[in-house]
Amino acid sequence: MAENKKDFDIFEVFVQETHLDSHIHVGSLVAASPDLAMQMARENFLRRDQAVNLWVVSRSQITATSYESPFFSREMDKTYREVSGYTENGRLWRMFKEKDMDIEEIVAHVREQSNPVAQEEEKPERRESR
Amino acid sequence: MLTEEARFQAFMDRINRGEKIEATDWMPEEYRLLLIKLIHMHGVSEIMGAYPEKEWVPKAPTLKRKLAIMAKVQDEVGHGQLLLRVVEDLAAPLNKTREDLIEDIYKNKVKFHNVFHMEARSWADAGLIGWLVDGAAITIQASLLQSSYGPYARVLKRVCAEESFHMKHGESIILALATGTPEQRKMLQEALDYWWESLLFFFGPREITPAVDRMLYYRIRVLTNEELRQKYLDKYVPRIQSLGIKIPDPQLRFDREKNCWVYTDPDWDRFSRMVHFNEGPKSRERVEMRRQAHEDQRWVREALLRARKQAV
Ligand SMILES: [Fe+2]
Ligand SMILES: [Fe+2]
Repeated sequence: MAENKKDFDIFEVFVQETHLDSHIHVGSLVAASPDLAMQMARENFLRRDQAVNLWVVSRSQITATSYESPFFSREMDKTYREVSGYTENGRLWRMFKEKDMDIEEIVAHVREQSNPVAQEEEKPERRESR
Repeated sequence: MLTEEARFQAFMDRINRGEKIEATDWMPEEYRLLLIKLIHMHGVSEIMGAYPEKEWVPKAPTLKRKLAIMAKVQDEVGHGQLLLRVVEDLAAPLNKTREDLIEDIYKNKVKFHNVFHMEARSWADAGLIGWLVDGAAITIQASLLQSSYGPYARVLKRVCAEESFHMKHGESIILALATGTPEQRKMLQEALDYWWESLLFFFGPREITPAVDRMLYYRIRVLTNEELRQKYLDKYVPRIQSLGIKIPDPQLRFDREKNCWVYTDPDWDRFSRMVHFNEGPKSRERVEMRRQAHEDQRWVREALLRARKQAV
């Protein structure tokens, strides 16, 4: 038993679903080597889901924040950085008889009859406003 | 073993099927060099693009405006970082490092967009950059979301998400001026008069240059300069006009027969000299600031590396 503890490493598993996605953490597993971790990750996490790429990273190689630290604390309101901080624009555009435009409208416009093999996923990430 | 020709053909088949190429995949030398050229220029333009607006951080009219423009400048430098990372991986087989990619700016070995050679003279200029220069950049970047090179397309998803705030930020400044005093509306008009030509130039020459032609062939890009310029005019001309400011081009109109915008050509010669020889009103000054920032902080980078060696 003691030997098991010594020989098996914990690996964190990251899956990239399509070429337009980043790798996303899905869980962890124990394995004796990175190669075996890769095999096991496929069996554990990708029995149904599609993927184009897989990373396994030894947990000992990960530097993480602590959940208690004030690392992410915000001293002040940051709505000036967010689209949601500019709702006033819509009202002002209406004063000029124009409607508010967002980036999705431009993305859609440049795609119009431009690329026959274009794929669905190619949209900008929707970032939630906090 | 595949022959050189078969390998190339297999690569082109992937491109034509709409597949994405990854950094670790085999790729033709020409594809790699075109990507380096495009993304290096894009990344450096993000960094040099921070300068005109950064000049307005200390002079912004309110605290909220100061915070917002500072956040925007920070985003642009961040975009430069993301893009240069993509170039580094591509340029590694050519033994080029981040150090080289930055030094190229002040050794005049890489160009950056014409608009970032120009002067931000007033707060209206700063707002107009945020609205219309970013609008032009967003149009191009939105089309590049379809690029055949996976790492570039992925980075651009993040960039575009942040640009959605830049759109609102620029509009907000412009709308405040447009609903302001006659003096403020005059500032806005003067800003448009100064920037209009350079906005048209931003998309590049009407004709398809050999490099652009190859980029289209490899689906690194999917639209021509002129197609992009037309898409931009579609979205922005009506909005500019709705504000009651005048676009300084008497020829500008939408031609229903040809189904495109007709416009007076910008001074191609003047702006391309600006870009090729750093001859714009602010080129030398900003390039010199970039050089100083890079050289003066060299000791910090070296100290960090020394500290790491000692820790091992
Ligand atoms: Fe940007
Ligand atoms: Fe931007």
